[in-house]
Amino acid sequence: MRRTISFFLNGSEVNVTLKDHMRLIDCLRETLNLTGTKEGCGEGECGACTVLVDGQAVNSCLYPAPEAEGKNVLTIEGLQGSENRLSFIQKAFVELGAIQCGFCTPGMILATKALLDSNPDPSDQDIRAALQGNLCRCTGYVQIVEAVKQAAENMRGPE
Amino acid sequence: MSRFSYHKPKTIDDALQLKNEKRGAVYIAGGTDVIVQIKNQELRPSALISLRNIPGLAHIEVNGGARIGALATISDIIQHPTLAQAFPLLMEAARRIGSVQIRNVATIGGNLCNCSPCADMALPLLVLEAKVRLRTSETTREVPVEDFFKGPGESCLLSDEIMTDILLDAPDVNTIAVFMKKGRVKMDLAVASVAVLLDMEGDLCRKAHIAAGSVAPVPRRLREVEEKLEGTILSEQTISEAQKIAKSSVVPITDIRSTEDYRREIVGVFVKRSLERALEWSHK
Repeated sequence: MRRTISFFLNGSEVNVTLKDHMRLIDCLRETLNLTGTKEGCGEGECGACTVLVDGQAVNSCLYPAPEAEGKNVLTIEGLQGSENRLSFIQKAFVELGAIQCGFCTPGMILATKALLDSNPDPSDQDIRAALQGNLCRCTGYVQIVEAVKQAAENMRGPE
Repeated sequence: MSRFSYHKPKTIDDALQLKNEKRGAVYIAGGTDVIVQIKNQELRPSALISLRNIPGLAHIEVNGGARIGALATISDIIQHPTLAQAFPLLMEAARRIGSVQIRNVATIGGNLCNCSPCADMALPLLVLEAKVRLRTSETTREVPVEDFFKGPGESCLLSDEIMTDILLDAPDVNTIAVFMKKGRVKMDLAVASVAVLLDMEGDLCRKAHIAAGSVAPVPRRLREVEEKLEGTILSEQTISEAQKIAKSSVVPITDIRSTEDYRREIVGVFVKRSLERALEWSHK
């Protein structure tokens, strides 16, 4: 079965015709050509496909696309700073070497955004708990945790 | 992904009617188990009936006891302003489920209806003697969580029933609660887990409710251990006896996550540590 749904994607309303059995990640990557969201395991273990739905981090590989109707979806493409520059989270990840192959990065960054939106001054433990569902096979996580701390500092601005 | 139609009923009655009309239809709540089962071709539904758009089904009400809507997500439970105070054990189990991404969509009702031997939310509900409310288009019944599970993937839920609520009586004020879970890594499914709820008077254990997960076909109470403990003074000796009984009373299996022997060992150790911790707290 096909259906047309509308939802807010990165701030703008979109209308998409999709098949009932599609997952949100299929709708994003294949229907809307937004390939910034990555599919790793496809079963909710690795977090590479993390997007925010109504501000909450979810695995888009486990999210039925028809459920996106009327929701606010944020993907890595929607996370730009002013004048098409990198957002403060992306900048911190680049500056602190929290990226190697980059496959897990979009998911890491959106999980970080969800964390910082609710907790602007997270401890190391808060950061590790918030990123528990995001696997990175390159960096060993130390740089990632440091980048999240830096992003939090960037967000709070000079003290 | 195999093909299926997707339905978003707005009322429980519409959901029940759809299920009745569509052969091979399956309900979906958070989907963190159902979607994975479809991907792995363990489940080939002709239709998915989503329960996510039925108003009120995710509502949490705390009023001495609590009524938790079956569609409440694990995050809803963790973030609820008063639920944790009344039922800290629920919170501890909820925090140990999956990752943020999973907790944001996985539901308490789904965790129970999936009927995994390692269902994390089952353990606090077992020791708190919670009930689940099951509804058909005409009838409603309440079933103790302990009687809900029938086997791995099997419950007493009939094909024309939907779980609507989880019901908890007001907790006893003097109880001590401990939850312990062992996974390979933190967000993993449990290798074994234990929940303990004790009513203590000094060192005297007046009442003991103990449940274990991943060590039997269903999450279940460890009645033999409870009987041993009730009415006895907790000491090094009684605790060690309880540990022995716990080890011998469970029937774990060896699978991809762990071995029978290790699970037995862990359950014994968790029972011992929980009782030691309870004893420590009762002295404070």
